[in-house]
Amino acid sequence: MSRIPIRLRVTLAFTIVMALLLAALGLFVYSRFKTQLSEQIDQSLRSHGDDIASLVARKDLSKSTRLLGREESFAQVLTPSGEVYATTPQLAGHPQLTPAEAARAAQASFIVTRPHVRSITGQARLLARPAPGRGRTFVVVVSSTLDDRNESLQNLRTILLIGGPVALLLASLAGYFVSGSALRPVEAMRRRAAAISAAEPEARLPLPPADDELRRLGETLNAMLGRLEAALERERTFVDDASHELRTPLALHKTELELALRYAKTPEEMRAAIASAVVEVDRLIALAEDLLVLARSAEGKLALHLRRVRIAELLGDLRERFAARLDRSGRSLVVEPTDGLTVDGDPVRLEQALTNLVDNAIQHGGGEITVRAGEAGGEVQIHVEDRGPGFPPGFIDHAFERFSRGDPARVGDGAGLGLAIVEAIARAHRGSAHASNRDGSGADVWIELPGAPR
Amino acid sequence: MRVLIVEDEAKMAGLLRRGLRQEGIAADLAGQGEDALWMAGSTEYDAIVLDLMLPGIDGLEVCRRLRDDGVWSPILMLTARDGVPDRVAGLDAGADDYLVKPFSYAELLARLRALARRRNGERAPELRVGDLRMDPAKHQVWRGEQPIELSAKEFAVLEVFMRRPGEVLSRFQLLEHAWDYEYENRSNIVDSYVRLLRRKIDKPFGVDSIQTVRGAGYRLREDGSP
Repeated sequence: MSRIPIRLRVTLAFTIVMALLLAALGLFVYSRFKTQLSEQIDQSLRSHGDDIASLVARKDLSKSTRLLGREESFAQVLTPSGEVYATTPQLAGHPQLTPAEAARAAQASFIVTRPHVRSITGQARLLARPAPGRGRTFVVVVSSTLDDRNESLQNLRTILLIGGPVALLLASLAGYFVSGSALRPVEAMRRRAAAISAAEPEARLPLPPADDELRRLGETLNAMLGRLEAALERERTFVDDASHELRTPLALHKTELELALRYAKTPEEMRAAIASAVVEVDRLIALAEDLLVLARSAEGKLALHLRRVRIAELLGDLRERFAARLDRSGRSLVVEPTDGLTVDGDPVRLEQALTNLVDNAIQHGGGEITVRAGEAGGEVQIHVEDRGPGFPPGFIDHAFERFSRGDPARVGDGAGLGLAIVEAIARAHRGSAHASNRDGSGADVWIELPGAPR
Repeated sequence: MRVLIVEDEAKMAGLLRRGLRQEGIAADLAGQGEDALWMAGSTEYDAIVLDLMLPGIDGLEVCRRLRDDGVWSPILMLTARDGVPDRVAGLDAGADDYLVKPFSYAELLARLRALARRRNGERAPELRVGDLRMDPAKHQVWRGEQPIELSAKEFAVLEVFMRRPGEVLSRFQLLEHAWDYEYENRSNIVDSYVRLLRRKIDKPFGVDSIQTVRGAGYRLREDGSP
């Protein structure tokens, strides 16, 4: 059954139910009609019988009285022993009851159907009843043909047997077309869905005009297509931006090597070119690592080696690691001491996030850099603040987006990934990253991580 | 040949200049769009290498403003964006050619030569004045069938002459096309290079193709017979 197309299945079910209904209705009508006709006949037999019985009761009936039959019916008066006492002329000398029946009829009336009765064509209905008169009891027999009734029933049967199937056929056809038109939007949606590919992610399924289940299904699927399109778009932008970011250092690298091949003559020149190329390769490796971290975190697959980490341990060697750069840029870094804060995290990743934050403050901020940690509502916050110009207006909302820079043309050699990675790492730790401009001046960028249970 | 390099990334700019100078091409650097505008406006460059992404005025805008100012030096645009709309925008802004990073340095040189060639209405990759021939790509010069060894700077000065045969070129014009800003404006450096050139391309063949035009400068003649 489930292999049959929906349209046929619906039509088939409809047809079966319709057939049962029509058959039941036909049987009902037929039997009602039959009962009604039979009752009418019995009624007229009874009244005929009553008429004869009253004749008998009025005692003006004699052996020679010729009873009048009604149309296609007869009447007979029998003695309880079964002899004909009076009769309609056609039945003279032919008692319609056996002596046993006559005896029974003298006790109580009954009605029977006879397949054949003299002078009546076809089936006949026969009423026998007792009729008291002239000191003795007679038996009155009246009979009527069932031919008319049978003919009417035959007609009705013919009408039902022809009309029923015709009605069924019409109804089934109607059902077939209605279910077809109801399913047409499904076919339209199917055809469009088959054609949709990543090449045209903006395509949507056609919606039926009616506000029905199919439309709601279409709207739901379209909403899903919209989400997929947005995801695809983000992916494309990422790949575009990533390849753009890779090209700049690659161009530098290639030119460096080409020039060395073309012009470097002494080993010293060659050595200088190779040393410079190594620096470029390092930059490329760092960039590739960053891109990998972002791509993995976007897929939710950034691997973390979790352990209990003391914040003090994270901040401990920060100054040392940045000493050289701080000296070069004439900046200072203050790490405020923390007391016993811990988180469950990956120390390498957390260190990377902190490094990026301080890096960012050195590169884009100004003045003294302060790193401080604190706890609020079970969350551990690590702030990195500087006293520079702060974020440009409107940039804060995009500060953590990939490839976003304060200045649209690059400043320094950052690819605009640092803060995006900070956020990716914070999120992987079920935390978050935030940025704001401090009231006085300078920027405050911080991460918030769930504190470890004590 | 003198080229202006507009590139904000110092390392890239330095590398390009070093490479071009090795080819005997004089090269100046501009790190920002504003610098590029006044430099290109005050010196007639044979080509401008313009990075698309610049702080301040970006490459497209620099391109547009240069053309608005009537600076017609051929512009070769460099960019890391390779989408068709990016290329179209670059060319429509007035750039003559377009090179996507990472590019091949050899291709950059070839495109610069092609731009210089087109500018002077030349078609042949080889320059020819009388029986003096020059192949700028291979850096070779011949008198008849005899190859001549020239230093990079001598070659550059001769190229200026050969791109304008028969024209009288002032010392300043020669300076402008063969030297960049890093050289002091001393006109006797031109005279000494002309002397060096004569010693290599004229004297050994008994001809006198580089003619001194008193009070005006020098001229490279097609018929070099004395």
